[in-house]
Amino acid sequence: MSEHNVDLKPTPGDRFTTFLKRKDIRETLAWAAFYTAGFVVLGGVFYTKWMPTSLSTDMKSIERLMVIFTWISAPVCGLVLSIATYTFRHGTRGDVPPEDGPPIRTNFLGVASFGAMAGILTLTAVVYGLIEMNSASEAAAKDAPSALIVEVTGSQWVWSFNYPAQGVSSNELMLPKGQPVIFKIHSVDVNHSFWPVQLGIKADANHFQTTSVTTTPNKLGRLDVKCAELCGLYHAYMETEGAVVEPADFNNWVTQNGGHSA
Amino acid sequence: MTTLSSHVSSRPIPNPKNSLITKLNAGTGLIVGVVFAVATYNLLKGENEDPGIAYNIHNRALLAAMFMWSIGFLVGIGAFIGPWRWLIGKDLTAEEQLYLAGDGQGIKRYFKYCTDHKVVGIQYLWGVITLLGVGGAMAMMIRTNLAAPGGHFITASVYNSLVGLHGITMIIAMIIVATGPFGNYIMPIMIGAADMAFPRLNALSWWVLFTAIPVLCSAWFLGGIPTGWTAYAPLSIQAGPGMNAFIATIIIFAVSTAVAGSNITATVIAMRAKGMTWNRVPIFVIGATISVALAVPAFPTFMVSMIMTALDRTYMTGFFDANIGGSGWLYAHLFWIMGHPEVYVILIPGVAVLMEIVPVFVRMPLFSYIGAVVGFAGIAGLSILVWAHHMYMSGWMPMLNGPFMVTTEMISIPTGLIFLVMLGTLWHGKPWLKLPMLGVYAFLWNMLVGGITGIYLSDVPADNYLHGSMYVTAHFHYTLMGAALTGAVAGLAYWFPKMTGRMLNERAGYVSFWLIQIGFQVLYLGMFTAGAEGQPRRVVNYASQFATANRISTVGAYLVGTGFVVLLWAVVHSWRHGKIAPMNPWGAKSLEWTVPYPVPLVNFDTPPVVTSDPYGYGKAVK
Repeated sequence: MSEHNVDLKPTPGDRFTTFLKRKDIRETLAWAAFYTAGFVVLGGVFYTKWMPTSLSTDMKSIERLMVIFTWISAPVCGLVLSIATYTFRHGTRGDVPPEDGPPIRTNFLGVASFGAMAGILTLTAVVYGLIEMNSASEAAAKDAPSALIVEVTGSQWVWSFNYPAQGVSSNELMLPKGQPVIFKIHSVDVNHSFWPVQLGIKADANHFQTTSVTTTPNKLGRLDVKCAELCGLYHAYMETEGAVVEPADFNNWVTQNGGHSA
Repeated sequence: MTTLSSHVSSRPIPNPKNSLITKLNAGTGLIVGVVFAVATYNLLKGENEDPGIAYNIHNRALLAAMFMWSIGFLVGIGAFIGPWRWLIGKDLTAEEQLYLAGDGQGIKRYFKYCTDHKVVGIQYLWGVITLLGVGGAMAMMIRTNLAAPGGHFITASVYNSLVGLHGITMIIAMIIVATGPFGNYIMPIMIGAADMAFPRLNALSWWVLFTAIPVLCSAWFLGGIPTGWTAYAPLSIQAGPGMNAFIATIIIFAVSTAVAGSNITATVIAMRAKGMTWNRVPIFVIGATISVALAVPAFPTFMVSMIMTALDRTYMTGFFDANIGGSGWLYAHLFWIMGHPEVYVILIPGVAVLMEIVPVFVRMPLFSYIGAVVGFAGIAGLSILVWAHHMYMSGWMPMLNGPFMVTTEMISIPTGLIFLVMLGTLWHGKPWLKLPMLGVYAFLWNMLVGGITGIYLSDVPADNYLHGSMYVTAHFHYTLMGAALTGAVAGLAYWFPKMTGRMLNERAGYVSFWLIQIGFQVLYLGMFTAGAEGQPRRVVNYASQFATANRISTVGAYLVGTGFVVLLWAVVHSWRHGKIAPMNPWGAKSLEWTVPYPVPLVNFDTPPVVTSDPYGYGKAVK
């Protein structure tokens, strides 16, 4: 409790040392360290373990962002949970209200430092997000001239893909590794949302406007394409498969399906 | 009774026993409502060879019948007697007003157009319990279906309806969960008022809401809704007749919230006890007022979007139909301009209940009262500027994603203040770990998880992956259920003695608390995992890779369901057989604990005078 030695007029340094020696502070700090470490580990493990294999830099940066955001928030979790745990452990039970505590109404230093911390953490998250957004759109602009165009059409409850330059249409999404791709997406009926899961991109398919989204597949592997907007009866079944393949294999696939390599 | 008897005029007083108001109740309301609805439907129904026009005519007849049910019910229960008598120059007498307040009518007054705020509070409480029960049962069916891949338990059509109706039922329940029962029963006493500012409007807000419940339920019998509670166009325009029930429900509900919101705001502004300056108002009252004041501008856009959807469905106006020049984005905007403030309309009162609880059980003043007010006001203010974060992936104005990301993430700052107030009050305290206080701890954990996952979702690049996935579902259940509903349940445990005169059964309360909270973590940890793995929301079936996460979720859901059944049992049992409560079982300092149970009709024998805020705890400082 706040029973400082008022008579000695301690220096700020002394006061800080006394503060750190308080039993409640020590126990709270120990809990804070425990929870912070817990969330750091959780952030490192959870998303890397559960998010699917990334087939593009977009997906890789999302995975990284999830981990980093968890790490940034770990000290906040540590602070909140340590105070909660400390007071919970020292709580009272029984049928009579406990004695009153000290009548603390506010604490300027506490409020100001907490506010500043919240502001700084928010700013960090905002700036980090804006930088990521910007680098994604810059990459998209740079890649546009060499990009493969894929027209994506959503209809209840099928995805279809048209490769205009190759003259191929398909219900599976085949992409060559290493080549930027621009998806031009629209719907013939209600709203759908085009979600090639392992590429870390998503865009709605609207009836009244074509949306586009860009990415570059950089690894070979299986693709799951799903619909992420409730679109009626068989929304759950509006999914298809695809793959990121070597450019040569992609060209083979194009010719096998009656198209011509661009 | 002094306040009411001052209205006695010099005219002869009719015996209210002969007055029409004594003959009307929910039964007469039901009869008139059904007659109005059936007559309207039969008048408007018609046939047409063109299936499109027949569809329009059918929708018109159904919608009109639903609105006429609501109006008929209100006529039948006597909601318009007051204004009517005023119009013809024979205002209600004092005796009739006393009758309307339900004086001495026992349980019957709960089925009447009763103006006593305490009766309205109990009506809302049972309305909330009913809605949560229905919504919860739907949730159990959803989770049962998702227990294993295959989705054979129910059909896709039923599943989609379940998802949408679970959503809207719970949204409605959660909007009124704290401001309904506690805002009506407790809040006027808390501020030292004799009743609400507009007692008849108070009764109106409840009975209007009541008429929305059968309309919502009728969606089942009209084939359900395929759209989810967001009712995105153009899916809503091609939807079957059940969609009319959804539209009518929202419009009726919006009327109810407008009435209730204006009434609560006016009451808090105008009816506070002498001496209750703004810095002495209990924090729950501040939170509830900010919440309803936020709902007053937010809900009309939802209402407008529903009116436009109704016009598209009945007259092919094409607001949202791209085939005739409309745009689905317009709908999405109108919806989310309501939709995002609305989550804070739900969250703020629940949090405010907990803030009211902390000082009482820690026996210390609320830490930084101003921080709490600024926190609530900041959340409310920012919440009207964030709606398009629901539309990052829609293709609408990618250039504005950045600004919307900034406003959304800024909400972390006032939310941080809310945490600070709670933690600051806890610090240095030895909390009394009763049931209401446990809710505070559950809130701290749940809101932490809900808040932090909200930051991922507000980030545009991360939302590229997470949008529309189960991750979103888990996130908003952490905030709305883990934080707001936990707050409301804690509030029920806290105010139960004042509302029923009895203590809530503690043992059952603890059992339900731990079942719900542990089950909740299991349920949504599973759902976060499924979302991270890439499972979309609102799917009747899923790939086998998501099986483990979903099975874990379903186990958690059953624990939560069991916990709520135990809680319901505790409420019903304690209401009838619980230990008789003392006047102030928690030793709290706010005004509602200074009145006995049953609370007198005008609450206070002598109007109270307030000289400090209700947080004057604390031993003398050395």
